[in-house]
Amino acid sequence: MRLFEFEAKALFSLNGIPIPEGEVVETPTEARDVAESLQKPVMLKAQVLAGMRGKAGGIKLARNPVEAEEFSKKLLGTEICGCKVRKLLVEECLDIDRELYLSVTFDSSKGRPVIIASPEGGIEIEEVAFKSPEKIIQVYVDVFEGIKPEAAREIVMKMGLTGDLLLKVSQTLWTLYKVFEKYDAIIAEINPLIITKNQQVSAAGAVLNLDDDALYRHPEVAIKPEERIEDPIELEAWKLGIPYVRLDGDIGTIGSGAGLAIATIDLVRHFGGKAANFLDTGGRITQEHIEKALEIVMMNPNVRAILINLYGGINPIVEGARGIVKFIRERKLQIPVVVKVKGNFEDEAWKILEEAGVDVIKVTQTELAAQRIVQLAQMGESVDYSR
Amino acid sequence: MTILVDENTRVIVQGITGRIGSVQTRLMLNYGTKIVAGVTPGKGGQTVEGIPVYNTVSEALKEHPADSSIIFVPATFAKDAAFEAINAGLKLLVIITEHIPVHDTMKIKAMAERHGVTVLGPNTPGIISPGKTKLGIMPGNLYMPGEVGIVARSATLSYEIAGNLTEAGIGQTTCLGIGGDLITGVTFVDVLKMFEADHDTKAIVIVGEIGRTVEEEAAKFIEGQISKPVVAFIAGRYAPLGKRMGHAGAIIERGRGTVETKITALREAGVKVIERPMEIVSAIRDVFKHGLT
Repeated sequence: MRLFEFEAKALFSLNGIPIPEGEVVETPTEARDVAESLQKPVMLKAQVLAGMRGKAGGIKLARNPVEAEEFSKKLLGTEICGCKVRKLLVEECLDIDRELYLSVTFDSSKGRPVIIASPEGGIEIEEVAFKSPEKIIQVYVDVFEGIKPEAAREIVMKMGLTGDLLLKVSQTLWTLYKVFEKYDAIIAEINPLIITKNQQVSAAGAVLNLDDDALYRHPEVAIKPEERIEDPIELEAWKLGIPYVRLDGDIGTIGSGAGLAIATIDLVRHFGGKAANFLDTGGRITQEHIEKALEIVMMNPNVRAILINLYGGINPIVEGARGIVKFIRERKLQIPVVVKVKGNFEDEAWKILEEAGVDVIKVTQTELAAQRIVQLAQMGESVDYSR
Repeated sequence: MTILVDENTRVIVQGITGRIGSVQTRLMLNYGTKIVAGVTPGKGGQTVEGIPVYNTVSEALKEHPADSSIIFVPATFAKDAAFEAINAGLKLLVIITEHIPVHDTMKIKAMAERHGVTVLGPNTPGIISPGKTKLGIMPGNLYMPGEVGIVARSATLSYEIAGNLTEAGIGQTTCLGIGGDLITGVTFVDVLKMFEADHDTKAIVIVGEIGRTVEEEAAKFIEGQISKPVVAFIAGRYAPLGKRMGHAGAIIERGRGTVETKITALREAGVKVIERPMEIVSAIRDVFKHGLT
């Protein structure tokens, strides 16, 4: 779960990383007030959960409180990178001497934390890596040992910093690692870390992605999904803990497993159809869960056929079949539904579905199921399940 | 021969008394897996499907020597369960549990490396050597003994590939999942090495998907180091970009991790990349027709 910049900065600051002075606001008047109290030019930064926001016009410099109000009016309520701007971070404008890059993430192949630092910050780090890879310092960290202050200093020395700045930046890096560890972060990034003309450091850009699976360990990080998931169906699915992504087609899809669900979407497309969504039931196909999954799929008004692709591995697949039938009957569904079920307890599942008049595919070939649903969707005939 | 497990593998089930643990224990026993004991702290003394339950792994091992563990422990306690198994001296862990925090997985991986323990998962369907044993949740009826080795990231997609082969009469030596999480114990490269060394495996199938770079690393490794034919399927051609995966490690994975980069890397390494799961059958038939040792 990605945090908003202002949330990330609040956590950084709480743990001792210096950040620019500023406040988050929701109205132009508030923006003016903050600019007035800071008594200097301010940056207005759209709070959206997307990168490249600056290039999309989401960051504006206001020289005085009047401009702060004026520019906020223009920014608030617009869309930046597909996200509605509901909040702005109003921050003091810093006198920049240098910009650095610091981050802690993990390398998924090695399975270890990695620190990435560069004396060139402010732009996309990918760009630095591409143009001048020698400027990227990568240091792997032992997950049990963590990082020692002297190791942090060594990295910062490699960035070419000395004296007082060596101490300040290495302290910041060390703290950033602590934040990464403490909050179960996927990535903790400062870009840019600004060094001001009077040699102070400040985390002007902050990214903090936390591991969804570890959020339960951090009740102090209160995350409101309704503020960060734009699509109402995706939000509903998130609340139910169902991985769902809305797509622009008309064939609803459900797969028991992410890889299978993705492959199902690919196959629907291969046969000339277009999926309306990605939905992964994971390993918990209970009757109730499959009903909820179908509910989510049907929230999308474009759906005119449904393909359900299930394997009975860890799943009580028979219950899944019952859930499908119950949903179809209760909702008096009239659109074509094709179900492919294989695996543990498949015979019982087939029987339940067939008795309810559902189209069942009994071999492992998702191709057949995809082909069938695309055909049925194109024919556009309604189906009577009430027989 | 098979890799990692065979009919002599003796198994401990951690989390045996849970809803999933108990059902899967029954299904594994039905398949012929030598489950010797179960472990659930606080439930020592009970039995599940006739298997004795102990409070700790070392207590179980005193009575029932074993070499591997399959873990169904809830995510919150999974790291501790894995540590316990490693410390008790088991050499293979199959971690079925999903949603284990990434920082916990990093610790499990580091601990396993220190002790020379092989970890499949987390979030893996496990491993099956058809006709011999299965330490996992895959439906046994989709597999049959034969000469193809399958390694996958996604559980159900690997069932699909194996099922396609079985329905066409092509059997498998060993099929396993490395796990669907961002960080896993073994990777494709580790498993490729094992299949290369296994005399009975005549062809290898990689089942990949978008995200991570394990397929690209596999491609690099295959060039020059794998003499056996490799066929691959990568899911996600039409998946929405950047929707499911976070951007973690972006710099290291820069420009990689898409379906295109994976397919290109694999093809350049001489791997036959198929477009649809069903094509696995003709691809493997081709491989066998074109003369194998």
